[in-house]
Parts: sequence; structure tokens; C-alpha cells
Amino acid sequence: MSAIIRASNLSKRYGKQLALDQTSFEIQPGRIVGLIGPNGSGKTTTLKAMLGLTRFDGELSVLGLDPRTQRDALMNEVCFIADVAILPRWLKVKNAIDFVAGVHPRFDRAKAERYLANTKLTPNMKVKAMSKGMVVQLHLALVMAIDAKLLVLDEPTLGLDIIYRKQFYQNLLEDYFDADKTILITTHQIEEVEHILTDLLFIENGKITLSASMDEVGERFTEVMVGPEYVGAASALQPMAQRTVFGKSVMLFDGADRTQLARFGDTRTPSVADLFVATMKGSYA
Amino acid sequence: MNTMKWLIKRELWENKGMLFWAPVVMACVLLAIALAALIAGHNMQYDGNHIGMVVIAGKPLEAFGAGAAKVYLAAGMPVLMMLGFLVFFYCLGALHDERRDRSLLFWKSLPVSDAMTVLSKAATALVVAPLIVFGIIIVLSLLMLALTCIGLMVHGTNAFGAVLSQADFYVSPLRLVGLLPVYLLCALPTVGWLLLVSSWARSKVFLWAVGVPLAIGLLILWSQRALGLDIDGTWFLSTITTRALLGVVPGAWFLFEKIARAGILASAEHVDGGSIFSASWAALGSVSLWVGAAAGVAMIAASTWLRRWREEN
Repeated sequence: MSAIIRASNLSKRYGKQLALDQTSFEIQPGRIVGLIGPNGSGKTTTLKAMLGLTRFDGELSVLGLDPRTQRDALMNEVCFIADVAILPRWLKVKNAIDFVAGVHPRFDRAKAERYLANTKLTPNMKVKAMSKGMVVQLHLALVMAIDAKLLVLDEPTLGLDIIYRKQFYQNLLEDYFDADKTILITTHQIEEVEHILTDLLFIENGKITLSASMDEVGERFTEVMVGPEYVGAASALQPMAQRTVFGKSVMLFDGADRTQLARFGDTRTPSVADLFVATMKGSYA
Repeated sequence: MNTMKWLIKRELWENKGMLFWAPVVMACVLLAIALAALIAGHNMQYDGNHIGMVVIAGKPLEAFGAGAAKVYLAAGMPVLMMLGFLVFFYCLGALHDERRDRSLLFWKSLPVSDAMTVLSKAATALVVAPLIVFGIIIVLSLLMLALTCIGLMVHGTNAFGAVLSQADFYVSPLRLVGLLPVYLLCALPTVGWLLLVSSWARSKVFLWAVGVPLAIGLLILWSQRALGLDIDGTWFLSTITTRALLGVVPGAWFLFEKIARAGILASAEHVDGGSIFSASWAALGSVSLWVGAAAGVAMIAASTWLRRWREEN
């Protein structure tokens, strides 16, 4: 299958600050990709470039279109929620639904109304009368009812309580996602999305530092709870990170043989959060 | 086309208070004043005696009917003048508010092009807002005329027939609506300029919008006077600055275009709906009107480009 997003040598400069530095990556259709990086790493710039919201140098094709010149066509197939979901204060719930239904050929009104039925939102409510979480609920209900080929979520659940967050990701997976769709998520709450992701993209200082499917991550990275007597031997294998939990050393290895590591203690696949912290360590040291 | 319909609805949802309720309130106030005057007039006294019946009939009644049918829309003049303010401030906010409240990214996440969006805002300013105001003016004027006739009836004169039998009575509203193309062309440079500022300025839109054309004009005037440069500052102020700022005022074409002014001055003795209408359309014969309209279109195109590419940090 051909990639849905193909980026090569993306560069973007804000004044002297280099936001994207010859960034290249590909995203295949039917995947749920987590774009993960520290603040200021180029995440938002990458998303903006894909959505035709910023100019950049390099090659970028999204669904076969160039977001710089073919943005209007692209928006029929792509939907996104920008980092802070902001709807205009004067907008009423019913107006929002009418408008999106009026202009978006892929909007399913019944679906949006079904999502809204699970919230406290009423048709005549205005955005300015809503809590922050309610605004996000409205925005998500609108977006989830759009049958887009590519959905880009930039910190989609900011301001939502834990119950609704869990429900949102569950809906996303069960109700929205299918093999024809691709979802790209950035979030700081990695723990909440890691079980739904199929692929990881780590970005740091405008460069992609890791691009792998979750299966590949499982094969490549191993975390070992090393018994005290093996610490010296394990360290010799050059773990990429090491931390101490309850007096025991936990070491993270990249590309080491798992059976060999099993001699030192219990092995498991590291969590995305731990892998992220270990990968990013260099930039903070 | 369907998208355009929803975009214009969107503008009306957002600006209902400004584009609809403000002129309606103004009309209601005028109506209330007229009603109060009528009631007060009914109890009019002269030297301690009630003014009794005033019976007008025959030729004078016909003349009254003919005159009223020609000018009754003048009752809505204050509302018409308000249109200039409404369109001015609507345009200033049109592309700035969505950037200020950061809802721009929401609108941009929908399959609506920047050109379509900006066009819907220009159309709201140039067509929808004037039509709403014209409608309110027509209803208000009809009510005022009815009140006048009722007032006369109370005093013993039935003028309804005299008014309703006049063709002008029916034609006047059509003439008002028929001024829309002239208004549109004359307002284009101002609407274009205001939309451009609205899409460009980070803040203080009003200051930028008014300050820039005024400052440039004054600067030219100053360099002309002080440095003796061979450029005409008064020309800039009276031609460019006024068209950039005052084009949205209904009737501004009488100020800008000699042809229209000449037309209205020629009929100075009996200015009525008909002479205003034909003198207004005469403005279309002026090249400067078309140059201004073309500049307006260019500035609208520029604001579209800015909305597409401008990045907020």
C-alpha cells in the first residue's frame, strides 16, 4: 500500500529558530500514529505543514495532494482539531451542527447528535455558556461525525475529565476508526493513547528520531529489571537508559537479544512514556 | 452555492445584533416618536380651543397624495444613514474577530476555501446588510405613512385613496432596492480596504483603518506645502481617503461623482425618489467609480491571500 503522508526534507524556520530540520517520514493508511515530542520539538509545525496552514521547504504529499497548493481539495478528506480547541463564543450547538452539515459533504448529522446525547449540551446552548470541557465535547462530536480519510488530533482531550477522555478514545477506536482511515495524534498524556496507537513517530529538535510500528518497538526495545548481582554485566551491554525502581535497576536496551537479557532478570516491552523519556534524554542532558 | 448560503447564514448568526436588531431598534424609536407626535398633535390646542376638523379635498388632496407617495421613504433616512456605520464596523471585525478569538483554525478545518469565506463576508457587507436595512426602511416608511393617513383621518380627511392610487407609491420601494448596484460599486473600495485591514492588523483595527489613509493624505499635503513638491495632497484626501473610508455611506456617490451631483442639482427644485434614482445611476458613467470598484476587488483578493497564508504566533 502506498503511504498516505509522505514527507521528505521538510524545513521550516521561524526567524533564527529552526522548527523543522530536513524532516522526513511516511505514514501508511489504516494506522493510528502518535507524533510525540517535547515542547518546541516541531510537532505543531509538522501538523500545520500537513494541513496547509504554514509554508515550508521540502516535499510533502498528503493523500497525494500538496497542502500548500491544493489545500481546498485536501480539506474534503482531512479533518483536524488544533491544539487548543476553540469554537467562537457566539456559536450555538444547533448552529454548529447545521453549519457543518451544510458545508461538509462527509458529515453524518445523526452521528453527531448521538454523541451529543451523551453530554449535557443542549441545542440552544452557546459556546460562551459552556465549560471548557463542554466546548471540547462539542468539537469532538462534530469531528467524529465527519468521515475523513485522515484525522489529525493535536492535544484533543485537553480540559476533559478522565471519564470523558477514556470514552473518547474508546469511541475513536470502536466507532470511528477503520482500515481506510488514518489518525494522527499528538498528546502529552501518552499513557492514555499508547494502547490504541499502531505506530510511533518521535520528533526532537525538528528531526524524526524514531519511526516504528508498535510491533517493531516490541521487537527492538527491551526493558529489564536487573537483579543487583547482574548490574555490572548488564551495564556492559550499554543500555540506552537506566533508572532505579524500589532499589532495583531497570535498564532499557535497544536492539539487544531478549533471551540474552532474560538472564539478568524479568524482561518486558517498555511503555511508550519510558521509551520517550529515554530517547529524549540526550536533548536535556 | 450551498456553501455560500451557509457562510452567509453564519455571518448573520454572528452579527444578528448588529445587522438586524440595531436598525430594527432604530426604526422602532422613530416610530415611537412619530406615534407620540401624532397623539400629541391630536390634542393640539390653539388659543385654548381644540383644533377641530381639517378637511382637505379635491386638488390639494391629490397633490398631498402625489407628494407623499414620492417621498414617504424619506421617513427611513436615519436608518439608511445607520447602514454606513453598520457596514463599516462589520467589515472591520469580519476577518479580525476570528483571528482574535482563535476560532480561525476551526473554520479552516472545514472544506471551505478562503476565497469563499472572504467573498461571503464581502457579500454580507455589500448586499445582505443593505437589503436588510432597505427592508426595514420600507416597512418603517409604510407604517409612518399609514400613521400620517390615520392622523389625517382623525381630523376628518381620508387620504388613503389619494396615496394608494399613485404609481409612485408602489414604485418607490423598487427604486430604493434598485439603488443596490450603485451602493455596491460605490462601497467596494471602502469594504475592500476595511477587509484588508481586518485581515492584516494584529490589533487596533479602527486606528489602522482610519489612520493610514488620513495620515498618508496629510503627509502628502504637508510635503506639498512645506517642501514644494509637485504632488496634490488635497486630491489624495478628497479622492482616495474619502473613498477608502466613506464609500459605505449611502449616497456617498453624490459626494464623489460629479455626474451624480450635477444630476441632483439639476433637479434641485423638486428632489424626489425618481430624481435621486436617476442621478444615482448616472454615477455609473463616472470612470473613477469603476476604478474605485476595481481597487476594492483587488483589496478583497489581497485579504483572501492574507487569510490563506497569514500565521499567528
